[in-house]
Amino acid sequence: MTETRKIIEREVLMNGTQAVANAAMYADVDVVAAYPIRPYTEVMDTISKLIADGELDAEFIVAEGEHGQFETVKHASLVGARTLVGSSGVGWLYAMEAIVVTATDRAPVVAIIGNRALDDPGAYGVEHNDAMMVRDVGWLLAWVDTAQEAFDTTLIAYRVGEDPRVLVPVGISMDGGFLTHSEQIVRLPPKELVKDFLPPYNRGKYLVHPDNPITVAPQVNEDWVMEIRRQHDEAVERARGVIVEAYESFKKVFGRYPGSTSEIEMPENPFVEPFMIDDAEIVLIGMGTVSKPMKVAIKKMRNQGYKVGMLRIRWFRPFPTQDVIKYLSQAKVVCVIDRDYSIGSPNRGGVIYHEIRSSLYDLDQRPKVLNFIGGLGGREITIQDVEKIIKIGYEHRDTPITKPVYWVGVRGDPW
Amino acid sequence: MKTEDEVKYVEIVYRGIFQKRLAKYIAEGIVYTAREMGKPALSFGRYGDSPERNGVPAKYYVGIGNGIGEEDLIGYSTRVEPDLVDVIVVLDDTLLKGVESWAWQGVQPINLKLKANGTMIVTSTKRMDELVKMVPKKDFEWTFGVIKTEPSFSGLWAFKDDLTMEKVWGAIAKLRPDIIDIDHLVKYVSKKQSSDKRISAVKEAFSSVDYRTIRKGEGIDFIYNPPRLLTWQEMLEGTVVPAVPRGKRNEQFKRGTTKFERPTVDFDTCIKCKLCWIYCPDECFDETPDGYYDIAYDYCVGCGICAEVCPVKDCIVMVDESMFTDYRRPYEMWKENKVKYKEWLKEVRNARKERVYVPGLGR
Ligand code: SF4
Ligand code: SF4
Repeated sequence: MTETRKIIEREVLMNGTQAVANAAMYADVDVVAAYPIRPYTEVMDTISKLIADGELDAEFIVAEGEHGQFETVKHASLVGARTLVGSSGVGWLYAMEAIVVTATDRAPVVAIIGNRALDDPGAYGVEHNDAMMVRDVGWLLAWVDTAQEAFDTTLIAYRVGEDPRVLVPVGISMDGGFLTHSEQIVRLPPKELVKDFLPPYNRGKYLVHPDNPITVAPQVNEDWVMEIRRQHDEAVERARGVIVEAYESFKKVFGRYPGSTSEIEMPENPFVEPFMIDDAEIVLIGMGTVSKPMKVAIKKMRNQGYKVGMLRIRWFRPFPTQDVIKYLSQAKVVCVIDRDYSIGSPNRGGVIYHEIRSSLYDLDQRPKVLNFIGGLGGREITIQDVEKIIKIGYEHRDTPITKPVYWVGVRGDPW
Repeated sequence: MKTEDEVKYVEIVYRGIFQKRLAKYIAEGIVYTAREMGKPALSFGRYGDSPERNGVPAKYYVGIGNGIGEEDLIGYSTRVEPDLVDVIVVLDDTLLKGVESWAWQGVQPINLKLKANGTMIVTSTKRMDELVKMVPKKDFEWTFGVIKTEPSFSGLWAFKDDLTMEKVWGAIAKLRPDIIDIDHLVKYVSKKQSSDKRISAVKEAFSSVDYRTIRKGEGIDFIYNPPRLLTWQEMLEGTVVPAVPRGKRNEQFKRGTTKFERPTVDFDTCIKCKLCWIYCPDECFDETPDGYYDIAYDYCVGCGICAEVCPVKDCIVMVDESMFTDYRRPYEMWKENKVKYKEWLKEVRNARKERVYVPGLGR
């Protein structure tokens, strides 16, 4: 445990998008590229207001579409600018070519993904498949569940992504509606403390500048690609240690662990949030705001004698394999809630389900894993849904799994 | 304790885009005041159709913990909308006719989610007895409050700082001190922006809000049948729905509650040019056997395009929606008694417009 300082923070009501914009202002970003799409849009609305109000001095570039938007920050980042960008759903996918190359060219752009369905007309509610589209191409990916965590994680994203050992872009996902459009009290630390946490962005020998003549992304053909990928993989692995350092430093500088509010204490693990997990026979897994109804349901079911706990994934890339093993190896049944889908995949399960099963595979004694696909397109996963999930998990303590995947509350299937 | 006792909810029903900021700021003030009172509180904006579109009914919510902590409050409130609400604030009296804020859910009564003994507050220049005639009945007693003021409409994206915010807070403090009380409210307002006119607006609304108990069963019949949505096995594949048969309209998605003005037609001057029929983006016009164009008002969103394109001066004129209590079609009224219709037309067209002027809306 690191020692904490007494710091007076301002408490301000803001939603997830406003929290991110304010964090970008604290980080003193240089270039913001914007193009509107719900539910991310209020990030750019808030940034433009901060600029107009004189609170932030940054280039605000409204692009002609998402592809140009992400190209803009990629190039700005390579010439040494700290950048903010973001999108949602198919907007994010429209920029995919630029997004992939941003990672390959190792530009530590910070992108906010207001998670949104892909892209049934009018459905702008949360679904995690948009952000998942980059899970394999070398972005760091975090999922936050409160406005406070959105603020804190944005500051951390700059520190981790820009670290010379990493130089990788960071995507911060927040649930459309449930977080982008929901206001909670956020603690804002004194702005002058940020310099103690976040050093200036310095690309060193990778800065594109007349005094440092380099070429980024020359013709590589088949000769270089394997090595480029190998380096990239190593950088994302190095990010683990850098993330741990960043969270410790955050606590030292700001006097609280990232994600903690005056009323919510965040356990000291950057990668996962364990909750009531010590003696849990049933462990629920989820990402994003589903954690909140999960916690209420877990407390209720604990009162009825169910030994149940939760592990919320905070960082999805790099994936917290060791933490998953540590926290899940004693459980009897793991219930993974996926707000995403992977149609045609093994067992027809969701993305996190597969990652969890894969992480546990090498254990001699491993828990059973059930999968619950739900909350797609912004549908609620209610406290009652979670209670049902816990009961299904409980039934499988001593019985084999015959049906590994359930769809939560889909019309036409029993639930 | 039941869930509905652990969190108290305030629902703010507003018209996008004109009142979006207003609704958000009202919610914010309630959150901060409740927190002054030592209770956890949060707010969230929800909508079906985009609240950036003119007139679309949308909602803002405030959740206030009652003996629970911040995290549980967030847990209960990670919802599309709460099941029941303690207070409903209606920022435009024409919304009392019902709202269609969620696509495919049909037109819902304004007080659908009101808890037993709940409170509904509306901003209006109309009298209490006129407004009571517009509210749907409930099978319990509830309180109806009226803040005498013009509905606050701003232009696109802007916020019209006309003290509506302070008035709404003051009225809630009067009728629901369990949500926010006047002492903490005044403390919050003074802290936020110490200005006498803001504090007196709060106090003025607190002492002057008109209210009365609405008895069980009092009010109009408003039949709301929630739609049965199809199962995945029943739905057509590939996001396909059958076309609405010729001559019919989609019963479940009317969008007529979007309007705060409606077009009135002077059939005596109509030259039957058909432009209204061609241009109406929502296909609200029906050709009559004698070649006029009648309007399906429950589908009209009040965009004003018909009034813009109609080549005859004063043939189609947009009129404030608060002049009408139903969606009766104009052609039928005209046929019934042409002289009376003309008089009536003159009367409603002369009535004062209470809402914002937006260029391109047919006036
Ligand atoms: S105002 Fe006129 S054009 Fe617009 S929806 Fe109504 S009838 Fe159609
Ligand atoms: S546009 Fe005007 S004149 Fe032409 S048919 Fe319609 S109401 Fe009549």
